[in-house]
Amino acid sequence: MYPVFLAQWMKDKRKPYLILLFIGLSILATIIFGDIDRIEQTTVAVYSTESNAEELEQKWMELLGHHDSIEFVWMDQEKAHAEVLEGNSDVALQIMENDYRIITANEMPGVFIVNQHVHQVFTEEAKLVAAAGTNSTTELRNEVGEYLKTPPITIQTKSLDGGELANHDMGMQLLFGFTLFIAMFTIGFKVNGITADKVSGIWNRLILSPVSKTNMYIGHLFYSFCVAFFQMMVVFLIFKYVLDYELGNFAMIVTIAAAFTLSMISVAMLITGFVKTPEQFYMVYPSLIPMIPVVSGVYMQPGTITNPILQFIADIFPLSHGVEAMMDVALYNAGWNDILLPIVIMLLIGVLAMGIGINIVERKK
Amino acid sequence: MLETIKLSKTFKEKKAVDEIDMYLDEGESVGLLGPNGAGKSTTISMISSLLKPSSGDVKLNGLSTIKNPSEIRKVLGVVPQEIALYEELSAYENLKFFGKIYKVKKDILEERIQEVLEMVGLKERQKELVKTFSGGMKRRVNIAAALLHKPKILILDEPTVGIDPQSRNHILETVKKLNEETGMTILYTSHYMEEVEQLCNRVYIMDHGRVVASGSKQELLSILSTEDTIQVQLSKKSDALLEAIKGMAAVRQVEDTNHGIRVISKKGSNILADLVHAAENVGTQITHFQMEDPSLEDVFLHLTGKTLRD
Ligand SMILES: Nc1ncnc2c1ncn2[C@@H]1O[C@H](COP(=O)(O)OP(=O)(O)O)[C@@H](O)[C@H]1O
Ligand SMILES: [Mg+2]
Repeated sequence: MYPVFLAQWMKDKRKPYLILLFIGLSILATIIFGDIDRIEQTTVAVYSTESNAEELEQKWMELLGHHDSIEFVWMDQEKAHAEVLEGNSDVALQIMENDYRIITANEMPGVFIVNQHVHQVFTEEAKLVAAAGTNSTTELRNEVGEYLKTPPITIQTKSLDGGELANHDMGMQLLFGFTLFIAMFTIGFKVNGITADKVSGIWNRLILSPVSKTNMYIGHLFYSFCVAFFQMMVVFLIFKYVLDYELGNFAMIVTIAAAFTLSMISVAMLITGFVKTPEQFYMVYPSLIPMIPVVSGVYMQPGTITNPILQFIADIFPLSHGVEAMMDVALYNAGWNDILLPIVIMLLIGVLAMGIGINIVERKK
Repeated sequence: MLETIKLSKTFKEKKAVDEIDMYLDEGESVGLLGPNGAGKSTTISMISSLLKPSSGDVKLNGLSTIKNPSEIRKVLGVVPQEIALYEELSAYENLKFFGKIYKVKKDILEERIQEVLEMVGLKERQKELVKTFSGGMKRRVNIAAALLHKPKILILDEPTVGIDPQSRNHILETVKKLNEETGMTILYTSHYMEEVEQLCNRVYIMDHGRVVASGSKQELLSILSTEDTIQVQLSKKSDALLEAIKGMAAVRQVEDTNHGIRVISKKGSNILADLVHAAENVGTQITHFQMEDPSLEDVFLHLTGKTLRD
């Protein structure tokens, strides 16, 4: 195992640029996109083309208005479209009788935040409409409001140290999301070394040697683990000590990162089972991997993705579990018990994927 | 010491290797000759335990190696057809890697690496990356990597494909030395007739997955022993002469070559005098003639009806 590991290291030692690039990319992407909800205000141009536009303005502007970092400004349609086109607003919002449309010219995460807020307001209103049985919900809304002043049950959410509950920090989520996401590339490219060895004939040489097959795999996979783990650690350490991010209990972050890496290595191994050459892998893997953070909701507020199929796809990859567990540690001061489940899930994914992956790889001959 | 018994491999309907019987005695240098696609690499893969035969057996000292390949792996050095090296590492680093993989003892590994580098003539350039090497140099490192653990049997799969004549000669010399000086048993695969002729005591000729002929060079040539080949050079070419020679009773075949004509006649028919006469009759002269020994190339042509092509 040791010589196999060492040979991979010697190869990479001469050109460490890819890893350095990935480390830089993780940091840069987090800084660029992670600041998004720290921008003081997002301005949303709101308009309506319905005949009762004035009525709608009164009703919805009131309902939408309760958000700290989004400012809603009513205007007419042309002006609203112009605002978006000229980039003065990220988003325009068209209000219809019981529905809305979001018009945007970019894909910035800020758009998701607006979408999330508007969606929530409209859904709540729709529920109230359904409950009241009429379109006039003011009465019911007030009633509910009154009722909630003296609720039968109160649930107090406190963080574990008794302080106020932290707001969801999109920047932190992107930090973990991007770092783990980019590490997935490193993992894939390193695991691909096995396929490369098989095609070049080196693997045959190893088979003829006294080294056991298990040791050959472990040599490669352990190396992949070390490189990807190192990459993530550098990024986290820079954020913690240079950029002063509050990452929470670092030992727990490290543990989650390790479980994630193991799990993802297995998934990469499974994917190599479906390709014949390292070149094929270079085509398949980078086109597959970027979809995972999207369906895992890494770029969005939690709860944005509700489609059960997408949720299922997200669940079978370790990324969502890893990011979630890290968020729990960094934001909510989760304890070891709280992160046990996601770690176990990741390891389980790992065991399954590795079992199937090695089986396919070995049978292919 | 090593033998195959009705060794066969079928890939999805295609019989790549078809009931091959071969043997290698200790200290022998044996050639495995055949055109591309004949099944040489497949045979070697099965002998070296990398590929499971569809049927048949491989025996080392009488014991089947298929169930328990560890014994044969110990005594075998395999030089694969492809360059199985890390191109991003230097020649030295590659050898160190394979040495460790093959569990060459630490205290002698360094010495061993220098020895095999010396053998393939790359001692001076061991620090350079393999990817900067010429095709011939890569092939030499490829061989060196198979020698580190001092194998008793060395199997080489087309080790000279696509390289310059100098490297080729170097490789042939190296293999010859290994066989003659260290007594290593050699199985040398090639589709170059002259390499096998130069290197091997015994030859197996393969085509379409089967052994079509085998034996020492002399034995193989005796297949053609009923013919003489005469190479004739003329002062002036003449179609009429060609016709006249074709008409001779003892002549089997006449060929127009760049240098003159090539006449294949019945063994011992002594047609030289007739040729001189015939040339005079059509007003040209024989400037030079030479009795040619048949080559293994001719044997192959005779057996398969085709030439060994590159
Ligand atoms: N893995 C394989 N799958 C299918 N066919 C194969 C495979 N390996 C070799 N063959 C076929 O078997 C035949 C013999 O191949 P090979 O042993 O490589 O010939 P050689 O080494 O003499 O050039 C060829 O027709 C080749 O296409
Ligand atoms: Mg071959």
